[in-house]
Amino acid sequence: MHRVGFTTTIPLEIVLAAGMTPVDLNNVFITSPHATRMIEEAEVDGFPRSICGWIKGIYAAVVECGIHELIAVTEGDCSNTRALMEVLSLKGVETIPFAYPHDRDPAGLRFEIEKLMRRFGVGWDAVKLSRERLGRIRRKVKEIDRLTWDENRVSGQENHYFQVCTSDMNSDPDRFEAEVDAFLEKARQREPFRQRLRLAYIGVPPIMTDLYPFVETLDARVVFNETQRQFAMPFDTPDLVEQYRAYTYPYDIFHRLSDILMELERRKVDAVIHYVQSFCFRQIEDMIVRQKLPLPVLTLEGDKPGPLDARTRIRIEGFLEMLA
Amino acid sequence: MNLGIDLGSRKAKFALVQEGHVIRLADHDTVPFYKRYGRLEGEELVLDLAASGLFSAEELEGATVVVTGYGRNTLSLRGARVVSEIRAHVAGALAQTGLADFTLLDMGGQDTKVALVKAGKLTDFVMNDKCAASSGRYLENMAAILEVSLAELSSHWHDPVPLDATCGIFGESELIGQILRGYPVERLCAGVNQTLVKRVLPMLRRFPSETVVLTGGVAHNRALVRLLEEATGRTLVVPEHPQHNGAIGCASM
Ligand code: SF4
Repeated sequence: MHRVGFTTTIPLEIVLAAGMTPVDLNNVFITSPHATRMIEEAEVDGFPRSICGWIKGIYAAVVECGIHELIAVTEGDCSNTRALMEVLSLKGVETIPFAYPHDRDPAGLRFEIEKLMRRFGVGWDAVKLSRERLGRIRRKVKEIDRLTWDENRVSGQENHYFQVCTSDMNSDPDRFEAEVDAFLEKARQREPFRQRLRLAYIGVPPIMTDLYPFVETLDARVVFNETQRQFAMPFDTPDLVEQYRAYTYPYDIFHRLSDILMELERRKVDAVIHYVQSFCFRQIEDMIVRQKLPLPVLTLEGDKPGPLDARTRIRIEGFLEMLA
Repeated sequence: MNLGIDLGSRKAKFALVQEGHVIRLADHDTVPFYKRYGRLEGEELVLDLAASGLFSAEELEGATVVVTGYGRNTLSLRGARVVSEIRAHVAGALAQTGLADFTLLDMGGQDTKVALVKAGKLTDFVMNDKCAASSGRYLENMAAILEVSLAELSSHWHDPVPLDATCGIFGESELIGQILRGYPVERLCAGVNQTLVKRVLPMLRRFPSETVVLTGGVAHNRALVRLLEEATGRTLVVPEHPQHNGAIGCASM
């Protein structure tokens, strides 16, 4: 089937309604066994050292899996995406821009969504149908999330995995749904986890691979994955436009913070890990995060894919000990 | 009797403590120490302390061993309790100074840590990340370029020559450039010391206590103490054994 790549969450409903296979390039990159080499290849092609690893990873993923068509989020995500899009179009990739209006204006968002629908030749009826289908899966993933913080039966890594996969439903919604079902059955019967400290993970998903299992060896567990949960669209919304307005990731930090604050309380979180990507503009927002959150915050910075480095481990350890 | 060990990047430090009193301190360059007396068994580090001759058989016999250091995450030391560096250093500062409210600035071979201690408890901390240009190793490199001893380098604080490179290695070429301009060595030394202050000031500003406790090998640098006092306007306290602070902390936990 025809594959369409994208650079961050876009209205997946449209791609599926058009009968195409969605591919979240972030996931392709980070799950690749040679993610590190992909970054190097992007740098050989000319990407600067001082540009975020995700951008280079997306670039390499496009090249590696032969994507010819790409939806690039030019507003509401990263301004680096624009240049990425330009470089890729030079390589013959057809790029389709999509913009989340900064002020969350419903008319503006509807316009963008309908533009994308026209581009893929689908109408509202088909989109509604695919929204219903995805809604079923998303509700199940929401249940996985609930089992994480409410019943303590799901690890931080599992929570991360299932929610992050909803961005493209692993390119195959039916198969993904079956995986979710199987996991739910297993998780429901488990003994609850007993780690003492409850952590929140906020910021873009981690580029390092072993953060969750590592904190679990230190008597702590992540019970809230902020952005990943956003990818899974956990809100009850009347229609597609509202759904993508409630989604916090592409809008300003204060919209994100109100969601974070509510979840910290509901999930009885003890402390927060704020992950920032090296060279990402969102690093600046750390100042606001630290000021506005009522809990201890550890800011972690990651650069390239791979396991946690010794220094980061020392910092996590010190932080968790301090809370004990 | 407690034996505290701090396995730093440059030096392994040891402290023998009995009922709160430091009985003996020792140290050894880390790499030769590992080469001679250490080996890996599986994931575990085994140190042949008896062979090192640093302590007598009776001392080792009766001692509880607590260890910290850079290897803490990758290695576990056979027969020892392992604690995190930040905890060890705070414990050391508490034991050595008797203070309860202070900002701890620990400057070691590679690491700089800043911790806020309130009512005797660690409440927050930061560490230098990805760059060691505010560390002992940096000072050693710069002293070598200036062809002075560390003690000489550490005695000059007056009228520092400006050095601005953010990277320790580029800093070397910048220093060479200033040597060529003919500045006197005293002012160049002061300039090097001043760069340390510039690097740690932002971290210190985050934790505004009245008192700063300075530990780690770099605390022997008198010029730094002076320049830091000037820049922060705060009282600087250097405990009696700054370099063994982590080891003392381990032994007093
Ligand atoms: S992590 Fe930051 S810089 Fe990197 S792609 Fe995402 S938004 Fe852009």
